[in-house]
Amino acid sequence: MASPEQFRTRDCVVLVKGDTYPVTVSEAMASAGWRGGQGVRWTASVKDEFLVGYGDGSYGGFILWGSDETSDRFTSITMNQPSYRFAVQAVGSWLFMTTTYERHTYASRQSGPLVPITYSANDKLLFSLRGYWTNENEWSLSGDPRAPNTNILGYVVQIPTVITDNFLTIQTVI
Amino acid sequence: MTELLRTRNCTVFYRSDAIAVAVSTTMLASGWAGGQGVQWVDSPIDAFQVSYSDGIFSGFLLWGSAESSDQYVSFTGSHVEYGFGVLCSGSWLMSTDTYERHTYASRQSGPLVPITYVEGDKLLFSLRGYWTKEDEFTISGDPRAPNQHFSGIVTQRPSALNSMYLGVQTTV
Repeated sequence: MASPEQFRTRDCVVLVKGDTYPVTVSEAMASAGWRGGQGVRWTASVKDEFLVGYGDGSYGGFILWGSDETSDRFTSITMNQPSYRFAVQAVGSWLFMTTTYERHTYASRQSGPLVPITYSANDKLLFSLRGYWTNENEWSLSGDPRAPNTNILGYVVQIPTVITDNFLTIQTVI
Repeated sequence: MTELLRTRNCTVFYRSDAIAVAVSTTMLASGWAGGQGVQWVDSPIDAFQVSYSDGIFSGFLLWGSAESSDQYVSFTGSHVEYGFGVLCSGSWLMSTDTYERHTYASRQSGPLVPITYVEGDKLLFSLRGYWTKEDEFTISGDPRAPNQHFSGIVTQRPSALNSMYLGVQTTV
């Protein structure tokens, strides 16, 4: 049975909602911005607050809304998150689609030419070194001393194709 | 952030799943702190019963059996009287003072050596069911080693800023 058409106007399109809570974002994130679906990790703060920075493959969660998505333009939420340095962190069991995933292999992103990553249903997903969803273990590929990365945070539900506007559908296990 | 009032063993910032469970006679006799890790145990009656965790996790208990914040209120002593606790599982975001402050090795023979927690550390339960970053199965020579019952992650290290509470995101 075909699903009715999905409107994919955001970085994350949520089909089943898990848990969410607001967190403070780092200065680096507030100034450089982030996409919806961006992986984050807990970071030390000089204040009594829960602070996150860009993910690097560590366990954590993902940010539901990007800092400056087109769907937020000309609404009251425009640039709200970076202005107040907050974001909505998502954890638990989600079913959602996102454009925030690695499209090309880690190796090819270092030296080119770009080689697409092939995703398959049921692939285990990690965060890349920049906090995007990927099926590659970038700790091992980059020679990171923390390798191998065992922080499995999701599974591929639906692979990116033209049918899905190249969104990757994910079931999270955070 | 505004000042956080930490008057209980667990201060909850995001609530996840909770279920009432029976607690073992051992726990009823000795009591427990909020944040105590527990594991399922057999029961002679048709009850979902837990006891102190020894490194295995089923969840943690939200409220202690005799916290000072429960004194002189109608809640006083009700956990122990009725033999129940509130078991928490899922994705909680909370602060707790029920964690191991000193290394397992130093707790056996002294002098006490503090454990240093940092954001992102993976957490397990210790052999007495407190949150810790040490794998006490391995350190103690427990035949079940290594302990792979990963149950949480540090969100905020204990410091004077947060009254030495440990911030935890649970993955129970």
